Amino acid sequence: MISTYAANVAIAIRTSLMDRTNFILNSAGMIVNDIFLLILWYMFFAGFRQVGGWGLHDVARLLGITLLVVAIGGVLFGGYRDMAATILRGEIDALLTQPKAVLPRLLARESIATAWGDLVMGVWMLLTFAALSWADIPVVLLAIACGTTVYVASAVAYASLAFWFAGARSFARDLTDFMLLFSSYPGSIYGGATRIIAYTLLPAGFVVLTPVTFLRAPSLSSLAILIGSAAAYSAIAGAVFQAGLVRYRRGLVPTG
Amino acid sequence: MPSMTPTARADVALGTFAAAASAFALGVRRNLANWPILMGRALFYLVALTVLSALWDKVAAQRVAGALVLPPGGLTLYVGATEWITLSVAAIHLRLEDDIRLGMLEPHLLRPKPYLVQKIAEAMGDSVVRLIGIGIAALIALALSGRALPPPAAFVYVAVLGVFGAAIGVLIYTGVGLAAFWVRRVLPPYIIVQKIWFLLGGLFAPISLYPAWFFGLAVVSPFAASIYMPGSMMIAPSVRAFGEALLAQLAWLAALTVLVALIWRAGLRRVLREGV
Repeated sequence: MISTYAANVAIAIRTSLMDRTNFILNSAGMIVNDIFLLILWYMFFAGFRQVGGWGLHDVARLLGITLLVVAIGGVLFGGYRDMAATILRGEIDALLTQPKAVLPRLLARESIATAWGDLVMGVWMLLTFAALSWADIPVVLLAIACGTTVYVASAVAYASLAFWFAGARSFARDLTDFMLLFSSYPGSIYGGATRIIAYTLLPAGFVVLTPVTFLRAPSLSSLAILIGSAAAYSAIAGAVFQAGLVRYRRGLVPTG
Repeated sequence: MPSMTPTARADVALGTFAAAASAFALGVRRNLANWPILMGRALFYLVALTVLSALWDKVAAQRVAGALVLPPGGLTLYVGATEWITLSVAAIHLRLEDDIRLGMLEPHLLRPKPYLVQKIAEAMGDSVVRLIGIGIAALIALALSGRALPPPAAFVYVAVLGVFGAAIGVLIYTGVGLAAFWVRRVLPPYIIVQKIWFLLGGLFAPISLYPAWFFGLAVVSPFAASIYMPGSMMIAPSVRAFGEALLAQLAWLAALTVLVALIWRAGLRRVLREGV
């Protein structure tokens, strides 16, 4: 299954690279976009110094992780972005007749060109602000891998709503955007209901906040939370998708 | 049209205006028909406002030495107004990109009504419905939040300036959409312009909190006229500030209209000469 996935992703990446000018414009545009985001936070901390103990370096580290999570999700699992539309258009039919698993084929359908810009900026932000050493690299990779897993798994779960609701296409995108919105702000601002949301429905807490905590001070408990959340969200996404696929096979899915 | 009589010109202008009014009504009706999408936008607005109010309430509560002092009541109402306008601006750039990139522009050029005026009018109608829908969500959230309210006049000022602010936004995104004459996808210019807008417009914080040199740069931009000036009515409403903001908005609307017309002509020349 892994070799099939790798082959599909390689094709998707080559397709996104085919139009060179478009690819460069998209990637460069995203880099400029990320620089402006950093300037916004720079201006904020120039005026307010810190928020709940978080300073510019902490937020830059958070943004670095967020960008890398979105980048890896976009390059290697870019099909998540339009998965709800794919389901609603009935494009799964062709995949059901093939022996390989459906979900990996859907995820590997597309590679998003702008994600390369996020990748460059994410690496730059971590190298510049995270004060990392070579010894930290395994920890960083683990944190990013778990964050990406939660992010893509949540996006798959949102997209799977299309098996039940015709209006899920924009709603799934909205939920993914909400999750990213929650992921772009210092964790210290969340309390009460917003904290519960950030660790359940829109799991920004597990996408970036827990990985950042793990990067700041690696411990067995944060490692367990990191891996546990990635496993739990993957299982939930897999279960929701499979339940939806059963409906799809029975012809109970709305079209749109 | 050098051979036309003044009466004929007036007829053409009247016809163009009537067609634009129809396109505006079409934008209104299309958005109302897609009410679940409008509800989704209102929900997104509330989520964004929840996060931003959590941020500003935290900043207001901590009182760090040497940090800027926030206005009384914090910035939640300010960002409520700026987000309201920002999320209400219709995505006209995507429609223009589709028409230009896919070669669907040419049939429109054969018709008697100006294509760009029609598209802008339709986007304005779309934006007005968004302003109303998201505005209702904002007022309900405000009533439920129990926050101290500004004087009633502030809401009137914001309502008027918000409409013109969104209109400026539509013209800015029209310029972005017309970039499709030169680049295949307008996503790169869109995300860059959007972030400049956030920064110079003061989406998350009033530009008056920026360093003096940066404030001087931002305040003379159309972005500040679009969202900072309406938003600032929630902090310090006054008839004088309202009048100045309105004048600035009208000036930018005129300037952007000319700019968009120039870009359109240049783009059209390119398409007619070289094709898509």
